[in-house]
Amino acid sequence: MYFALTDEQRALAETVRAFLADRFDLRAVRAVVDDERGDGHPADLWRAIGEQGWLSVCVPPEHGGLGLGLLDAQVIAREFGAGVVPGPWATTVLAGAAVRRVGSPEQAAAVLGPLGAGELVATVALRGPGGRFGRSGIAVRADAAGRLDGAASGVEYAHVADVIVVAATEPVAATEPATEPATEPATEPVAVPTGGGSGRGDGGVGLYLLERGGDGVRIERQASIDGTTRLAALTLTGAPAVRLPGSDAAALADLLRRGAVLAAADLAGVARAALTRTVAYDTERVQFGRPVGSFQALAHHLADLHVAVTMAEHAVLYAAHALDEGRPDADLAVAVAKSKANQAAGDATAAMVQYHGGIGYTWEHDTHFFYKRAKRLVAAFGDSRQHLEHLARLTVDTVG
Amino acid sequence: MAGTRRQDGLDHVDLSYPPEAEEFRAELRAWLTANIPAAWTEPGFWATVGEDEAFDLRRDWERRKALAGFAGIDWPVEYGGRGGTPAMRAIHDSELVRARAPRSVNSLGLVFLAPTVMAVGTPEQKADIIGPMLRNEVIWCQGFSEPDAGSDLAALRTRGVLDGDEFVVNGQKVWTTFAGRGDRIFTMVRTEPGSSRHRGLSLLLIDMHAPGVEVRPIRQMSGVSEFGEVFLTDVRVPASQCLGGIGNGWATAMLLLSFERGAAGISQYTAYRQAYDEIVRVARALGRAGDPVLRQELARRRVELECLHYQAMHVLTEVEQGRDLGASSSVTKLQWSQAYQGLFETFDELLGADVALLRPTADLDLTALRQESFWTRSVTIWGGSSQVQRTIVAERVLGLPRGS
Repeated sequence: MYFALTDEQRALAETVRAFLADRFDLRAVRAVVDDERGDGHPADLWRAIGEQGWLSVCVPPEHGGLGLGLLDAQVIAREFGAGVVPGPWATTVLAGAAVRRVGSPEQAAAVLGPLGAGELVATVALRGPGGRFGRSGIAVRADAAGRLDGAASGVEYAHVADVIVVAATEPVAATEPATEPATEPATEPVAVPTGGGSGRGDGGVGLYLLERGGDGVRIERQASIDGTTRLAALTLTGAPAVRLPGSDAAALADLLRRGAVLAAADLAGVARAALTRTVAYDTERVQFGRPVGSFQALAHHLADLHVAVTMAEHAVLYAAHALDEGRPDADLAVAVAKSKANQAAGDATAAMVQYHGGIGYTWEHDTHFFYKRAKRLVAAFGDSRQHLEHLARLTVDTVG
Repeated sequence: MAGTRRQDGLDHVDLSYPPEAEEFRAELRAWLTANIPAAWTEPGFWATVGEDEAFDLRRDWERRKALAGFAGIDWPVEYGGRGGTPAMRAIHDSELVRARAPRSVNSLGLVFLAPTVMAVGTPEQKADIIGPMLRNEVIWCQGFSEPDAGSDLAALRTRGVLDGDEFVVNGQKVWTTFAGRGDRIFTMVRTEPGSSRHRGLSLLLIDMHAPGVEVRPIRQMSGVSEFGEVFLTDVRVPASQCLGGIGNGWATAMLLLSFERGAAGISQYTAYRQAYDEIVRVARALGRAGDPVLRQELARRRVELECLHYQAMHVLTEVEQGRDLGASSSVTKLQWSQAYQGLFETFDELLGADVALLRPTADLDLTALRQESFWTRSVTIWGGSSQVQRTIVAERVLGLPRGS
């Protein structure tokens, strides 16, 4: 029994934290936030991330990576969340995971090496305008030749990505029987149960590799509340793309689970930083002749937040491990981790604004970076409603 | 693809127990299967047995378990223990819950007093206390709280005056679990006249059958009377029955309270999961398991139970690695007590208009769940209330300035 970060993982977290404090602190974040028209992708930061090997964590050794798992990736994701770091690190790691897991050996060779070295930016486009995360939210169709039509919305860093992994519905091959249910459930789980067949016939979903500059690809930036990322809409008109041959509904579900864990890790980091910064401020800030942090109304709420953030950190650790090891409870663990991280980060960042008082409501203060990043990520890869309903399916509908 | 596995041999997240612990689990499970009457495992059985009878059944059963070698799991062999690891202790506690075994009737002695005696007791105290406790020949009570000393233990007023080689003890204790059934009680007493707060206290071991000890049961909101008041009037206690040194009571009490069951969370998770499943069955029986709002609520409760499990595994890891738990026991207490209480709030909600009925339909008897629901109101009070725990977390974990 060992359920904790290892000394190595703690050292990795410390390295990332020290790097950010030294090379990309909140002043640097602010410059990105205020430069609304900029690409939100500081070149120096990206180069350093590549040099540090933080992109190669999940790349197998045969492609020059470190061959680690989500367990190690979540260590980095947490620290990037704590530093509200901009840039396409998480989307690149996630796109890499799709290529690694369901891509062909040739695709893996072409993408994973450069990706791990920081020479390639990647992202994922999984959701249409107004759509949810999951099959029913996809608004891109693929034809038999691999041409894509349709739209994706809220795609992070599409405007700088060399490669985009696009989820698309597919025509059911005439030679294969359709096994898709006639009607979709009213509430679709973010993660469809794994192990359900493969190939085009079974679920009518595939993952496609798309190059940014290709024909029929239009990318338009979308205004966003969160200045620590950049979002874009993707419009595809007969855009030629290459299918990841092993992809199917289960592969999409797997990708969404991995995205949910990385988002949950980022949220756990955001929440921890929001709490730590609020404690520091309220230890110094004096009203009524005493530090406001000595008032029980604040102190007890902050204590509850510490409990919640600690639980979110545990839940992320467990879910990352469960996915790495292919545990049977991985599906449940991801739903627990994302909904707990959502709650902890939502509460901690709202408390951060509140317990900084008036200054916490200003653009000048850093609180809004945390608050807005949490807002975006809480809804990413399944919001709490979606994950809790999925959890109900797993825990209420299965009791004998 | 089964994910990447490290080859470096370092400690890494690993949810399995070592082979010897799993062997122990199998052995214990077999014993439990053979030694728990089937009727006892029916949900609601214990609610149908009178309190006196239930206590005797539990006491005798636990004694047989000890004689079979399944007690003092992580105690040294020299004290009659099994010499096992914290993980084996966690497995023991969890397997008992899983098998729906009766709960211990001597847990305050086993969890808190025994390790304290092992640490600071005299050879005579060790011989006198530990063996008889392990075999349930002596049931131990705890006498810390008083009417004016609840969360503020240092305000206690029960006093002991040395007269020759005996203390003469006068005072009152309250919220004493199994007060009416206890044989001995470990008690915080002010033994230095005129002392205040944390000074001048001693931890005295008092014979509850001695003259001057009077016990009155307290009926709880659930209707049962597991707690009681203990009145001490000119009770003569030999000075040799002081544990940890005269006047050193505060330090001894803090040592005693530090023996939190590091592994307890694992078995609590097992128990609350049983409750969760039973509550789901009730929701289904009442046709409410499809209600989307209720489903969200149940799932939210489940999230907290899973988080309790993670916290328990984390604490077990820290214990096994020999790391200092510090104030993290307050985090554990807040998490388990609130998760447990919250689960039963959802139980009440799902009953809807039937909440006031013990048998809403002919074949649905909610007596046991209702008892448990009331019980959950107490868990955020005893053992350090949630408010006390939050203050500890705020000051000792977060480092916030102390309140005035």
